[in-house]
Amino acid sequence: MSDRLTVRVGDERRRGRAVDCSDLSPAADRVVAAVRDETADRSDSAPLSVTCPTAGPVHDHVGLVSPSMTLRTRTALADVDVPAAPDLERARRRLAGTESAVDECRERVATLRGRIQARREDGRETTGLEGELAEATAELSEHETERAAAREALSMARREARASRDARERRRRLEDRLANLKRTARDHLVEAVRDRYAAAVTAAPGEARPADDGSPADADPFAVDDVTAALAVARVADVRAPVVLACDRFADPAAAAAWLDAPVIRVSPSA
Amino acid sequence: MLLVVTYSRAARGTLRNVCRTHEGSVVRRFGRAALLAETEFAAFQALRLREKHGEDVQIERTRPFNEFETVDAEVREAARAYENRERPSVPYSNFAAGTDFPDPERLRERDLSR
Repeated sequence: MSDRLTVRVGDERRRGRAVDCSDLSPAADRVVAAVRDETADRSDSAPLSVTCPTAGPVHDHVGLVSPSMTLRTRTALADVDVPAAPDLERARRRLAGTESAVDECRERVATLRGRIQARREDGRETTGLEGELAEATAELSEHETERAAAREALSMARREARASRDARERRRRLEDRLANLKRTARDHLVEAVRDRYAAAVTAAPGEARPADDGSPADADPFAVDDVTAALAVARVADVRAPVVLACDRFADPAAAAAWLDAPVIRVSPSA
Repeated sequence: MLLVVTYSRAARGTLRNVCRTHEGSVVRRFGRAALLAETEFAAFQALRLREKHGEDVQIERTRPFNEFETVDAEVREAARAYENRERPSVPYSNFAAGTDFPDPERLRERDLSR
């Protein structure tokens, strides 16, 4: 398969395996969008278009490289082995078009046959209609051939799609496992400080309001409002950088620093 | 019905949300798949999912299975006879050999009738 590409910006058209567009200064995100969007308008009236092979899953991660990017490296690596899905949409669209063309043509052939039959019964001339019928029959067989090809193309694309879906399925299972392991690891770490955190919640100044779900705070130390929870975490943790307090739970900053055992910067409560 | 199968955690999450929000359109939910009602609204929801998650969403259309119109009597009878066989360890190919029951190769080659 050729990996040559064509980039068109306005009237300027450039081809190759590596294309320099820096002098045309199109926005990077628009170029990426043009690469990824298979259904994009590639006609000359579109301001920017890229004709190229279909982007696969890993392209979502590393298809645009820029200093301001954020990359989840492991997620990106997990996509390396996922084959790009075939263009099922185009195959479906093609088949849908041929189905209706065959139906229309078949109807026309039937109508013409009926009219020829009626004329014959009346003993009238049928030559003109027979010409039309021959034409329609030829057209019908053309459409039927095209439909057979479209069906074959779709079922081939569906077979190819299986490999891509198998890979996606494997990736999804790995992601699930990863999430489960992370959850287990987090639960384990939380368990280690749970009692100290719960004590801090109980000791927290101000009224610890139950969280939105309405469960009483003393039953579950995690079901408290976020300010109480944050103060409790900060008290349990060994915080060295100053905590900026924009809440009015403490009488003064010194009390806050003592309770949290951390440096504190107090600002007026934010709205 | 519409069978919607998802292939990523994100797509599965969106499918769950759709099913929760539009219970009336859901015939049955499985872990990462769902059967949706045969309505344009359900199709709209399925297409929305695919728009959002691309090929991580597969949409198929299913149809009711009526064994009395879809397969010949011999297939139904073979299934019944095989499940009621005396020796559980006999594979179907051996079971069918030398009987009037269809042999498995022939079954594989024949597509279902409409």
